Amino acid sequence: MTLSTSILLAAAMFSVGVYGLLTRRHAVAILLSVELMANAANLSFVAFSHFRGGATGQLFALFALAITVAEVAVGLALVLLLYRTYGDTRTDAAKELRG
Amino acid sequence: MIAALLPVIVAAPAVAALILLAIPSRYAIATRVVSMAGATVSFAGSVLAAVHYDRHVGGLQMPFDLPLIPSLGVHLSLAIDGWGVSLVLLTGVIIFAAVLASFTVQRRDKEFFIYLLVLVSGVFGVFVCQDLLIFFLFYEIAVLPMYLLIGIWGSSNVVPEAGPFRFVWKIFDVGGREYAAMKLTVMLLLGSAAILVSIFVLYQGAGATTFNLGVLGAVPYARTTQIIVFPLLWMGFGSLGGVFPFHTWSPDGHAAAPTAVSMLHAGVLMKLGAFGVIRIGMMLLPVGAAYWAPTVGAVAVVNILYGAMCAMSQKDLKYIVAYSSVSHMGVVMLGAATLNATGWNGAIFQMFAHGVMTALLFSLVGLVYERAHTRIIAKMGGFGTIMPGVATFFTLAMLSSLGLPGTAGFAAELMVFLGAWHGSHAWWTIPAILGAFVTAIYVLRASRAIFWGPGPSEHFHDLYDARGVEWAAPIVLAVAIVVFGVWPRLLLDLIDPATIEYLRDFASAIVRQP
Amino acid sequence: MSLPVGALPLEAAPIPAFVALFAPAVAALVLAAAPALRRRGAPASWVTLTASLLATAAAVTLLVTQLREGGSHVWMASWLQINGAGVGDFGVRLDGVSATMLLVVCVVATCVQVFSLGYMHDEKPPAFGRYFAYHALFLFSMNLLVLAPDLLQLFAGWELVGATSYLLIGFYYQKPSAGQAALKAFWITKLADMGFLMALMVLYKTTGTFRWDAAVTAATATTVSGLLFFAVVGKSAQFPLHIWLPDAMEGPTPVSALLHAATMVAAGVFLIVRANPLFAHAPATRDVMLLVGSGTALFAACLALVQTDIKKVLAYSTCSQLGYMVAALGAGSVFGGFFHLATHAFFKALLFLAAGSVIHAVHSNELADMGGLRRRMPVTATTFIIGAMSLAGIPGLAGFFSKDLVLASVEGRYGWVPFGALMATAFLTAFYMGRVVFLAFFGEARGHAGHAHESGGSLLVPLLVLTVPSVALGWVAAPLAHLSGATYELHLVGVVPILAASLGLGGFALAWVVYGRGTLVVSALAPLERLVATRAVNRVYEVGYRRVLLVVADVLGWIDRYLIDGLMNFLGWSAVAGGRALRRVQTGNAQDYVFAVVLGAIALAAWGLLP
Repeated sequence: MTLSTSILLAAAMFSVGVYGLLTRRHAVAILLSVELMANAANLSFVAFSHFRGGATGQLFALFALAITVAEVAVGLALVLLLYRTYGDTRTDAAKELRG
Repeated sequence: MIAALLPVIVAAPAVAALILLAIPSRYAIATRVVSMAGATVSFAGSVLAAVHYDRHVGGLQMPFDLPLIPSLGVHLSLAIDGWGVSLVLLTGVIIFAAVLASFTVQRRDKEFFIYLLVLVSGVFGVFVCQDLLIFFLFYEIAVLPMYLLIGIWGSSNVVPEAGPFRFVWKIFDVGGREYAAMKLTVMLLLGSAAILVSIFVLYQGAGATTFNLGVLGAVPYARTTQIIVFPLLWMGFGSLGGVFPFHTWSPDGHAAAPTAVSMLHAGVLMKLGAFGVIRIGMMLLPVGAAYWAPTVGAVAVVNILYGAMCAMSQKDLKYIVAYSSVSHMGVVMLGAATLNATGWNGAIFQMFAHGVMTALLFSLVGLVYERAHTRIIAKMGGFGTIMPGVATFFTLAMLSSLGLPGTAGFAAELMVFLGAWHGSHAWWTIPAILGAFVTAIYVLRASRAIFWGPGPSEHFHDLYDARGVEWAAPIVLAVAIVVFGVWPRLLLDLIDPATIEYLRDFASAIVRQP
Repeated sequence: MSLPVGALPLEAAPIPAFVALFAPAVAALVLAAAPALRRRGAPASWVTLTASLLATAAAVTLLVTQLREGGSHVWMASWLQINGAGVGDFGVRLDGVSATMLLVVCVVATCVQVFSLGYMHDEKPPAFGRYFAYHALFLFSMNLLVLAPDLLQLFAGWELVGATSYLLIGFYYQKPSAGQAALKAFWITKLADMGFLMALMVLYKTTGTFRWDAAVTAATATTVSGLLFFAVVGKSAQFPLHIWLPDAMEGPTPVSALLHAATMVAAGVFLIVRANPLFAHAPATRDVMLLVGSGTALFAACLALVQTDIKKVLAYSTCSQLGYMVAALGAGSVFGGFFHLATHAFFKALLFLAAGSVIHAVHSNELADMGGLRRRMPVTATTFIIGAMSLAGIPGLAGFFSKDLVLASVEGRYGWVPFGALMATAFLTAFYMGRVVFLAFFGEARGHAGHAHESGGSLLVPLLVLTVPSVALGWVAAPLAHLSGATYELHLVGVVPILAASLGLGGFALAWVVYGRGTLVVSALAPLERLVATRAVNRVYEVGYRRVLLVVADVLGWIDRYLIDGLMNFLGWSAVAGGRALRRVQTGNAQDYVFAVVLGAIALAAWGLLP
């Protein structure tokens, strides 16, 4: 396991996340994709910290995890609200912004 | 006391507007008293400034300076010269008359007076301001309340659908008061955008330390800069000054506006545009001005003749007066484009003369409209029998409009024509004089159609002449027309020293042209 | 000549001249500023009349002083200030010409105002007061013109008399025909005044002043005088701009007498007399004047032959006589033109006022409604006949002397064509005046004429006063010539005076044969009547106004409304339409926005990686 393989892994995770974000219609799946992208970033933090020395990256990863938890909470609340408003958790339902 | 005169003139209407905010709107009389007080203070102040201005010394006098944003070099810097005195006096006369003429406003009168007074503070500010950025600020203050004044208190007019652009009627209510207000605001703001860009170019070019007009005027901007920026200022200010083809907001706007607003707008606001072209455009960018002067003059001639011909074809009284403003503002711009003392004196004097006479015309049209509830000339006739006073004042204003000696219009037009004939493009004078002749045709035609002829039809039998306070505005304005028409030197002695000074700066800038 | 304010001590300033100028101005101001006074009628007439009498007294003083001392006095101040220097003179210039003209104007004006007291008596008080306010304004404007020290002030007076003429022609503003006539008069003269304005500009550009005695080149003199003459053609109703004058008879008859016969229309001639230094150096302009003047004289006299309205006859006669003056000035006889102006002012005012007296009695302008008035209105008839004889150039009367001077001046010019035209006019003048005299005052009474009776005192006194100069002015030609800096010799024996006198007498004799005895019917006039009925000259103007000017205005108005403004609306519309097109981008689907963000990120990355 080298730095480049870790980075490649993180990039792959991020890309998978982006792909999911763009293609999935279900709000929970979108939330999962976002999580995947966030964790890809965390993975890079940890990887750089491990291979380059210093603890800052790992601290940041911890910090980010904490924030992600809060974010997931907000995200799930949004999903819940989406369901209550439209009776569906697919994002196609919410199109108020259409011009 | 004199040192604080200019801030007092500028602030008095705004202060009155602030006081009005505190008065409950049900006190109609208090509203009018406060508004009148604000207007009177400014009017008296402007007369005092005219009397106090030392014409033998000349130059900028009664300076007032307050640093606002020292790091950018923005100062609230007020001072007045001969041109400023004349135009401040004009504004004083007209706001005084306009407030008097608005006493009959019924609906939401308190707000009406607030907007009117704020607007006038802006106008005063423009004429005495010596700082480019604050100049622009005052300019915007003067322009923006117009949107509300026309949109709320205006009247609508039906324009039949026709022409290649008739599909526009589907989305705009062409001729409506909201339409007029919106068109006016949008066109003037487009002009403002051009002005703002130019202001930043000028500020940067001068080293980004000051907006002072005197300092900026001495900066030798590069020839290409001048040639590019001057048209921006010309069209930007020109859109308010009614320069062809950016005049089309003016007939609709003036026709839709309530009486006092038309008086102020045609009487004073259009002058802001022309003043901006001369004071900012020509004085800060002399090389550009000299380069573009032939175009400015040619377009001004188009304004004169074309505006007069359009006025002749109108059926609606307010449109006639509005188009006559377009035509007369052409005279101002022609005077400006001559780049000589005769023409500039004439331009400034024409600003005054046209301001007073057009305000008089609009105030009388307002009186007729309030009674007859129509502005269509074909429906009128024989009103002279029942409103002889209005007819008399109307005739005076019309005669001034066609440049009869003894009225202010004559001295102004004469000087502009003399200046144009003296200038490098003498041929301009001929269409301009023809325009004056066409003016004689349409004004007298309109006057006859309204006031002459056998007594009015049954429908108009309950009309009556002006009464009480309604006389005040016409009398004030008519006196101004005659006094300055009989003895124009009352103003010219103030205007001329300023013209000489500006012209000297202008000529030396041309000589040391980069 | 250029004296700034105060260069002359005020005692030396001709105070009476200021009285003549400002007394009517004060009267006009008072009447304008005090509507209560004006609307009561009679007091207004007294205000105006007082001012006119003061002005007349001042004019008499001035003329006497001029006769005794002569010389030219100027007192003035600059009216404009341009580039630190005064431009345009405002004040009075007093010399023989202006003093003479001032007296003529003031005397005729006062007579007309006195006449109006009776003539306009039936008007409602406000209208009566308005009438006299206009009169005060007119007298001020006319005196402003007469006393002008330079062409700018002269122009100011010139325009102001035009405006008062407009107001007075339109005095009966309820009558549509009066309104039309007022506008026509103002427009035609205003059109001509553009020439005056151009002349001012040319003069100012070359000399920096508006003085007529400034030194100019021959070319400039020709240009300026030509432009000025164009203005004269309008104001003095010369062909082809004469068409407004007959219509101007819609105004009250005393107004026709004062403005449209005696003084205002003569302002054109006065201008040429004043600006003679310019005209003297412009032979080309003078040639045109000679031709236009003599042509108008003959043309208008022909038209006068067939008019049925007594005022129209006199109006065309005025055109014709103004043609005489213009021709004389064109021929270079300044005093000839000016002298004819003076005599014409008196006898034509007399004729108009006498006609007014007749109209007042029979309530009609038509000659067909008159007849036999000689017995019923002896004073009016006598004064009218004296005026007619003076106009026709019967020897011994004022008109004879001045007409003789005019005819003598054009003798031999242009192969005798102008001379022939003016001689023919002299005959026609006598004939049409004879026609009026015999139709109105002799023969059987027609229409209301049977019930007519002599007018009252205020109508007759002015007639009698005006009769004096109409008869006697010719005998003081020499001192008048001296005042104008010319010389005059009385020559009663010669080809010209004898020919002119016999033509005048012949014209009267023929008129007596045709209209007095009715033994001879002139069927030769029938084609002329048909020609007049076509109103050919008027048609040209009507086409120019209705078919050209108004149509062009309508086209331009349409263009402005629907093309220029349409373009502005189109710009507004395209902003809205553009917005409408762009709104499709906003799908409302959050993932589409994310997709855009990702694309943007990729684009940025690609941009960053590019070399």
